[in-house]
Amino acid sequence: MSQDVATATILKSGPGTSIQDLGRMGVACFGIPTSGAMDQKSHVWVNHLLRNQANDATLEISQPGLVIKFDSSTCVTLAGATAVVKLNQIEIQNPTQIPIKAHDILEIGVFKAGARIYLGIRHGFQSAEILGSKSFCKGVTEGSSLSAGDTIAYLRDSDTFPNRNAKAAWSTKWFQTSTVNAIPGPDFDLLHADVRDGLLRRSFTISSLANRMGIQLSELLENTLPELPTNPVFPGTVQLTSGGKLLILLQDAQVTGGYPRILQLDEESRWIMAQKRTGDVLRFKLRN
Amino acid sequence: MPHYQTITPLLGELRWNQPPSDALLEKQLGWMEFLKKEWQDQTVELRQGYTAICIQWKSPESQIFFKDNLKKFNVRKHQLSDRIWELPVCYEPEYGKDLGSMALIHQMTMHQLIDLHSAAIYRIHFFGFLPGFMYLSGLPEQLNTPRKSIPDPTIEPGSVAIGGAQTGIYPMGSPGGWHIIGKCPVRMFDPKATPPVWAAPGDRVKFEQVDSAELKKLMQNPHFPKNR
Repeated sequence: MSQDVATATILKSGPGTSIQDLGRMGVACFGIPTSGAMDQKSHVWVNHLLRNQANDATLEISQPGLVIKFDSSTCVTLAGATAVVKLNQIEIQNPTQIPIKAHDILEIGVFKAGARIYLGIRHGFQSAEILGSKSFCKGVTEGSSLSAGDTIAYLRDSDTFPNRNAKAAWSTKWFQTSTVNAIPGPDFDLLHADVRDGLLRRSFTISSLANRMGIQLSELLENTLPELPTNPVFPGTVQLTSGGKLLILLQDAQVTGGYPRILQLDEESRWIMAQKRTGDVLRFKLRN
Repeated sequence: MPHYQTITPLLGELRWNQPPSDALLEKQLGWMEFLKKEWQDQTVELRQGYTAICIQWKSPESQIFFKDNLKKFNVRKHQLSDRIWELPVCYEPEYGKDLGSMALIHQMTMHQLIDLHSAAIYRIHFFGFLPGFMYLSGLPEQLNTPRKSIPDPTIEPGSVAIGGAQTGIYPMGSPGGWHIIGKCPVRMFDPKATPPVWAAPGDRVKFEQVDSAELKKLMQNPHFPKNR
């Protein structure tokens, strides 16, 4: 097996394409966000299909219009959101495991369901590691997204899948749910009983203010709590702002915050949130 | 003695029911040291805030054992360092665009405001908000200013600002609701350095007034800050 360094070139990209692994651990004490794939279930799955390590770097694609050219053979896998996928301009049915030959051009078109696609590659993308992770993050890595002309290194390999028996279907069922599992956050008990009730009974809509840092929900919740001393927050922390807005913090969120931390989402629910789009509706279900 | 709250099976928080202070910081840093020394192989990450320390655990069992034995741990206070970092700041309206409005709000001259801000000595409690952003206590009460109701879309890196009862330096460009009173030419965060910040929680910071000529010189030749 040859392990020569090969190059993938981005020919076109919408905003919000980045390289991600499982994130940067142990550096929050310097104010550095965790980062890492927003939907780690899909990230880990594309790596698994390639017999990669779970932390190997994948491409996170959050807009249609990515066109990427590979200069050498390898295998790539896709999971997460579904989209129209073309290889050398021919649409692929069930584009989960795609053998790549030298000079192949892969195109991610219109999204069908979900918000983020993960493109895994045999042995992972070989970009620079900063503070223990390849994940893009503003202020930490040189770029925060990929655009036309950018190149990414990978390792040339055979276009035969290492895991021939794994016939993977591209399922989106798991994130097509409006129920989000949450656990009471450190400041949940400060909430007035009526507010708690509203939080758990009402449904909420994803607003257009949604990115890798977090998602703001459209509906307001009555809030009389003051701002609290700034304390740690995590991906999955739900904050209630002074204005009554609910903020669901995600992978690139700041590491500390002063708004009451009323809920903490469980892991699976974070991956579900990563696949939600503006206008989608959700309900919080409390698990004690 | 802190209270321990389990949040998820792998996440919990030590919390103190007292306002932020040097005395509390001594206790918190004592716990940080204890956790790093005695529990490092069982934790993924520690995060510190003004009144809490969050612990991400590798296994639910570790968290249960820690919680059950909390009262048995003998954790000593960490004596706060006597290091003071001197940070040059140019407080001229060209760099501190909100100096005028701040002086109006507080009914003092810009000079009085600048003298108050640069005479104080601030304590670093922790880093958060942005990579390399220091949470500082010690802002003179006369300078407390509610945050802007409409945040500025972009605040320049190096901006020295006041928001609520806090002051800070923006290590990188960011939207923000704080009032900008000056510019500091020191690099606050370098992802390629180990560690990526030069100060540590418990250290102190003092701002030294420099004029715009000096600022420009320092910007061309950024250097590591001095400490005493």
